[in-house]
Amino acid sequence: MGSTRRQFLWAMGATAASVGVRWTSDVVWAAQGSGDPGWSPGTERFVNSSCLVCPARCGIRGRVVDDRLVRLTGNPFHPMSRGGLCPRGVAGVQLLYHPDRISAPCRRVGARGAQAWEEITWDDALGQLGARLQSLRQRGQPEALALLAGYCAGSMHDLWQQFLQSYGSPNYIADDYDDGTAAVMELMHGIGRSPGYDLERAGFVLSFGAPLFEAWWSPLQAFAAFAGPDGDNGAPTRFVQVDTRFSRTAARAHDWAGIRPGTFGVLALGIAYVLIRDELYDAEFVARHVSGFEDVADAGGERREGYRSLVMRNYRTEEVSAVTGVPVGRITSLARAFAEAAHPVAVCGPDVTHAPNGLLAACAVHSLNVLMGSVSRPGGVLFGNEAPLAPLAAPVVDPRGRAGLDRGPLAPSQTPFGRGDPAMRFAGAVAAGEAGAVDTLLLYYANPLASALRRQVWEEALQRIPFIVSFSPFHDETTAHADLILPDLLAYERWQDAPTPASYPYPVWGVVRPLVDPHPGARHTGDAVLAVARQLGGSVARSLPYESFETLLKARAAGLFATRRGMTLGDAFELRHQQQMEERGWWLPEHREFEAFWDEAVDRGGWTDPFIDETEPAGLARTSSGRIELLPARLLEALATVGEGRTAYLDVAAAAAGGSDDFPLRLIPYRVSTLSSGTLPLQRWLAETPGLFPDVHWDPWIEVAPTTANTLGFANDTMVWVVSAHGRYRARLKVFPGTAPQNVCAPYGLRHPDGEPANPLHLLDGSSDPLTALPNWFTTFVRLERA
Amino acid sequence: MTRWGMVIDLARCTGCAACEVACKSENNIPTVSPDQAEMGRATSWMRVMAEPKGAFPDTTLEFYPRPCMHCDNPPCIKVCPVRATYIDPEGIVGQIYPRCIGCRYCANACPYTVKYFNWYGPEWPESERQYRNPDVSVRAKGVIEKCTFCHHRLQKAREDARAQGRQLREEDYQPACAEICPTDAIVFGDLDNPTHRVAELKEDPRVMRLMEDLGTQPKVYYLRQRT
Amino acid sequence: MHRDVAEKLAKLPPDEQVLLRPLVDTSRWFYVGAAVCGAITLWGIIAYVLQVRYGLGRTGLNRPEYWGIYIICFVFFIGISHAGTLISAILRISKAEWRRSITRSAELITVLVIGFGAIQPVIDLGRPDRVLNVLFHAQPLSPLLWDVVSIGLYFFSCTIYLYLPLLPDLAVIRDSGIKAPRLYRFLAAGYRDTPAQRLQLERAIGVLSIIVIPIAVSVHTVIGWIFAMTLRPMWHSTIFGPYFVMGAIYSGIAAILVAMAVLRRVYRLEGYFKEVHFDYLGRLLLIFSLLWFYFTFAEYLTAFYGGEPGEMRTFWAKLTGRFAVPFWAMVAGCFVIPLALMSRQATRTPVGTSIAGIAVVIGMWLERYNIVVPTSVNPRWEIEGVGHYLPSWIELSIMAATFSGFILLYMIATKFVPIVSIWEIKEGRASVQEVAERVAHYSERVA
Ligand SMILES: Nc1nc2c(c(=O)[nH]1)N[C@H]1C(S)=C(S)[C@@H](COP(=O)(O)OP(=O)(O)OC[C@H]3O[C@@H](n4cnc5c(=O)[nH]c(N)nc54)[C@H](O)[C@@H]3O)O[C@H]1N2
Ligand SMILES: Nc1nc2c(c(=O)[nH]1)N[C@H]1C(S)=C(S)[C@@H](COP(=O)(O)OP(=O)(O)OC[C@H]3O[C@@H](n4cnc5c(=O)[nH]c(N)nc54)[C@H](O)[C@@H]3O)O[C@H]1N2
Ligand code: SF4
Ligand code: SF4
Ligand code: SF4
Ligand code: SF4
Ligand code: SF4
Ligand SMILES: [Mo]
Repeated sequence: MGSTRRQFLWAMGATAASVGVRWTSDVVWAAQGSGDPGWSPGTERFVNSSCLVCPARCGIRGRVVDDRLVRLTGNPFHPMSRGGLCPRGVAGVQLLYHPDRISAPCRRVGARGAQAWEEITWDDALGQLGARLQSLRQRGQPEALALLAGYCAGSMHDLWQQFLQSYGSPNYIADDYDDGTAAVMELMHGIGRSPGYDLERAGFVLSFGAPLFEAWWSPLQAFAAFAGPDGDNGAPTRFVQVDTRFSRTAARAHDWAGIRPGTFGVLALGIAYVLIRDELYDAEFVARHVSGFEDVADAGGERREGYRSLVMRNYRTEEVSAVTGVPVGRITSLARAFAEAAHPVAVCGPDVTHAPNGLLAACAVHSLNVLMGSVSRPGGVLFGNEAPLAPLAAPVVDPRGRAGLDRGPLAPSQTPFGRGDPAMRFAGAVAAGEAGAVDTLLLYYANPLASALRRQVWEEALQRIPFIVSFSPFHDETTAHADLILPDLLAYERWQDAPTPASYPYPVWGVVRPLVDPHPGARHTGDAVLAVARQLGGSVARSLPYESFETLLKARAAGLFATRRGMTLGDAFELRHQQQMEERGWWLPEHREFEAFWDEAVDRGGWTDPFIDETEPAGLARTSSGRIELLPARLLEALATVGEGRTAYLDVAAAAAGGSDDFPLRLIPYRVSTLSSGTLPLQRWLAETPGLFPDVHWDPWIEVAPTTANTLGFANDTMVWVVSAHGRYRARLKVFPGTAPQNVCAPYGLRHPDGEPANPLHLLDGSSDPLTALPNWFTTFVRLERA
Repeated sequence: MTRWGMVIDLARCTGCAACEVACKSENNIPTVSPDQAEMGRATSWMRVMAEPKGAFPDTTLEFYPRPCMHCDNPPCIKVCPVRATYIDPEGIVGQIYPRCIGCRYCANACPYTVKYFNWYGPEWPESERQYRNPDVSVRAKGVIEKCTFCHHRLQKAREDARAQGRQLREEDYQPACAEICPTDAIVFGDLDNPTHRVAELKEDPRVMRLMEDLGTQPKVYYLRQRT
Repeated sequence: MHRDVAEKLAKLPPDEQVLLRPLVDTSRWFYVGAAVCGAITLWGIIAYVLQVRYGLGRTGLNRPEYWGIYIICFVFFIGISHAGTLISAILRISKAEWRRSITRSAELITVLVIGFGAIQPVIDLGRPDRVLNVLFHAQPLSPLLWDVVSIGLYFFSCTIYLYLPLLPDLAVIRDSGIKAPRLYRFLAAGYRDTPAQRLQLERAIGVLSIIVIPIAVSVHTVIGWIFAMTLRPMWHSTIFGPYFVMGAIYSGIAAILVAMAVLRRVYRLEGYFKEVHFDYLGRLLLIFSLLWFYFTFAEYLTAFYGGEPGEMRTFWAKLTGRFAVPFWAMVAGCFVIPLALMSRQATRTPVGTSIAGIAVVIGMWLERYNIVVPTSVNPRWEIEGVGHYLPSWIELSIMAATFSGFILLYMIATKFVPIVSIWEIKEGRASVQEVAERVAHYSERVA
């Protein structure tokens, strides 16, 4: 008895000890349980697709282990990104598995913004939306449906357009990347699309503030050109950056020049002055292809000054130097280097156009390309072709729809060129107009409550809209105010197309395809729209006769198969081979069957056409004169009416020259290359080390010059309020020697760890270029206060 | 003899930090909460360091992507009391996580500050477990970790080559950072194999190594800016 | 005190009476003190349990500040441990008569403090569960391994060195029967203080005191080398070995002084810890303050002349930068205060020396801080940002517990062994004649 009890106690003790040891090693020491996904060996696949995180749309390759996406790398077949990716692209896996994803369609049950949701089925959700749209149309108010679409790539854009058109609503509000350059091209070349830049073959890239290596149309395109051809058989492109701050692009360009904010256009014309004075420009090209260079006598016999006289009279280097702050010698040497380079090209981006005289300044910058004849030739500005997709089914518009369309958009553009900021304009109109003018608002890839310049206006607008539907896959600020959430699939789970941006002159039609099984609670918005269209029946259903978005894509790809040029993506050798063939006017079909073509296009990640015929005159100008217009008549007309007394090539400097006593520092918002646009949920890999400063993690920061910090009496790392006349936000002050003393550089896309937004765009003064309505991003002045 | 090494061309590096994120993704590097990061406990086996100089507008800036240097004469391994950090015959400096006692002596001995300590157990929320790389172990709390030259890829490449009955090729074994770099600034290979690009690049006149005077013999070479 | 114990005590000779009284007579204040110390120690143990449970993240450590309070305390305590054994051994060998009343209290400090020092690196480990890997996977090139060996050896020899001179006193207690007869019978191990035994004992002590000196020197040399064997700025220095040994002895002397002053007051030992002891130890302290200055000056001067950028960052951080306060406080504590107080006879009093002793103890703790932290936060590569270090409450609690635990054990020890060696005092009294002769002999004029 005694001994059994002792044995029992021993056994108990031993068990307890072993449990204890297990506990210490499992709970106290070891990594968490080993039974979780990461540990099964699994079978791996590599799948090509495209990145949809920013407008660049690089080629990606997913490593999929047992239907889990474990890594994203570049698709080496993609001609623009060539196997490289930017950090945001790599961090895409953290979007796919983001904890903020919405797991099922939700119907609002509490007050708006209270975030009380009831999960419903997809049939129910689509039924509710369909019924609402049906009744709206039956009431004869199809225009009361509005769509705010942010980042809407490829055929998703066309699908939405077709949907709204056949439904009868003119209120498709696009809030996407508009850098205003399309307006410049329309005016000077009669080609209404943003320019492509043949950076790779350019010998010299003179960038006016364009954040080529950070947030440009396509950083990867710039990287490829910067890295130069493999094997050094060609000379690498030389990059020179003119910028208001010492950006990453400036840091890695071969040379850079600091400039006063708002004076890009003046510098461009100062360079033009040297080119003309020293006869460095391409006189033959100008004579053959350009009009507006020389003075002309107009119909009334009155002499009108041409570009040459305007520049020669007004942009002597000394004066330009005084305005821009760039030393005279530097202007001259920049001009010489630009002229002497084999293939110079001047790049102008949103940073030039988002200014009070943005359009004029952008024309000035582009005039350098015209002077050097760097248009429609290797290494210059190229107007590429769009991928020749088959159009969607012919849209059918019934009388009801026609009536809606005829009533016109709610907030049409008031300016002669460009679209300006259509989302803010729309919100303003809704907030000011009668309630019910918009009955149903669809939000696709849009989060205006976080991203728009004026949050209050959007709040008011949303209050006046009875029914709001968001397709966002994540809980974000605006989704919180929706009545119905129909969570979209992420780009790694869905079919879409991803054409490269205009900046890359060769058309690339990237395919986006599911890398993993779709989230069970989410559905492709394209499929949802098609389902609603079927439900609505009639003209809408007939305009969109597609079973799924995948079939829609496939139908459109038939256009590529039929076009007798281009190829499915391939390696560098295949690409060059195809290019040489097309140069000689040859084209051999790769596939007999469309199915095989489709399969290969999907497998390799898309389709491209590596050849542009630079001898094609239509690539140069499609104006009525057939020449490039340096002084476009439409511009002169517009200036006469809404120009507020401005003159082309004269008023290229942006207004606000300096701050006031109250707000002494100029706010320069900029985009951090490691952060995604606007308001996407933060990805931890990126937020942990977002910038150059080794000790900044997560926190929003601003940069000021050492002298400025000294004068203000702020030490490095002080928390400060950035205060403008329109708002304020909190950020950590970093002393950075690359900041000009009169500026505060403020990255956007950050928020405080507790979710508090830190959006410098909310501070902007709200002014805009009267010609394009593009908001001024660099004319706001602020002061710093200790927080 | 194979000696794995890396050449990073500073004239090509744009400081984009894709290498940094690719390394985190490949090597199951856990993220930490914002306040932990603020405390200096974030882990990044590859970190793009930046050195700004001068005042606006005469500012210059140098980027230095910094992995472990895989020193040929590594001061870190000499001090480890338990041989938990070692240099293998092909020059890769590795860590034996299950043996490390967490004294952090090696971390102090490394002049390049590239050793990272697991102050807490790694947190793997359900969402983050999904994308863990099954080829790379997850480090427990209390041990040191650092860049491994993506050693697991070498093992895999070897197995594949063996299975196909052929020699290991240069492109078979490329670490994640070299693979992703959009400007091909990172070149990786066998320093002793004349057919590998690194062998040629390390003879470039622009070549330098960090703190060469310390005699650590790093196997990560940098090519200076062209002037 | 029980009446019969009091009676037994009263029967003993006067030295025994005074020196054994603390073993049987415990004041209320003792219990209060012990309770306070015990509570702090318990608190620290809880803190450690939390640290083990959640990880070293609970400390203020980070990258590149890999080492903090624990390593500082490690170096500090092991330094203090040089108090007893080393000093008592040197004094014994040199036959300094005045040592007789102070060796015991000093040796006791040593043994207790080594233990508290030696656990610090274990507390600092990320994986204390694997501490035995140091044996299983020993890597002889690592200074940390040398350290384990020399500290182990030092602890072992010091314990014996404490125990051997205790034997006659333990026998006295056993024979007096005033306390725990079974315990003392066991501890005294049959020692009867026969002349033969006494001779053997003194021989053994003599041999040990020689052996223990190189071991003690090795201990702190190796600790200095732990730092010196890395390439970090201001650590990678050949002076570190001797510098650490010197500093250790210095802090040891200071600790003895403080301990003596306290014991003298609470156990009324004025008759044993006389002014002269404080005066003599004060002189030693003076010499060491000068030595300390010499070593420190030499260290900083060489660093300064090298002017190596990595070094200079740390250098200036200490002299004028973020660490200027602890740095100059250290200079005050280790040099200015002891020098000012100990260079004058008038202040080499028990009060004066204890003030100087406290200053030195604090100063030496700060010296460890100034070695560990400024270098840690200033990585060699300038581009790497400067780190920061703020110890967490866990670290501070564990440090407090280390101090209180040490004090507690020391207090308890005074309840079990006489804090002044009875037999050595007696021997001293008996040998006055012999000493006088000895002195006369070597002062004799050689004709
Ligand atoms: N990394 C990344 N890239 C992206 C995106 C993204 O989210 N992340 N999103 C895309 C989208 S939606 C957009 S709209 C674009 C935005 O593209 P950009 O508008 O080009 O982005 P920013 O980085 O804000 O560029 C502004 C630059 O102009 C410079 N600048 C400063 N002051 C002035 C001034 O007074 N006048 C002028 N003219 N310029 C000045 C600033 O230094 C700054 O570098 O980026 C696209 N590309
Ligand atoms: N803080 C901040 N504000 C900004 C900017 C900024 O960079 N930072 N940039 C400004 C500029 S240039 C622009 S163009 C605007 C852009 O602003 P928005 O048009 O609002 O665009 P984003 O913020 O990029 O993304 C909007 C929302 O799309 C959702 N989304 C993400 N992925 C998907 C998907 O796969 N499907 C669907 N349906 N939805 C998805 C996300 O929930 C996200 O919140 O913001 C402007 N305002
Ligand atoms: S540049 Fe844009 S499209 Fe390309 S990888 Fe980065 S986020 Fe994706
Ligand atoms: S990925 Fe390449 S270019 Fe980008 S930071 Fe790393 S090394 Fe530099
Ligand atoms: S860089 Fe540091 S961690 Fe890497 S091998 Fe060298 S010393 Fe060791
Ligand atoms: S931390 Fe680990 S690897 Fe580093 S020295 Fe200590 S035991 Fe060795
Ligand atoms: S070699 Fe591998 S582990 Fe090392 S930095 Fe590059 S990706 Fe990370
Ligand atoms: Mo945008």
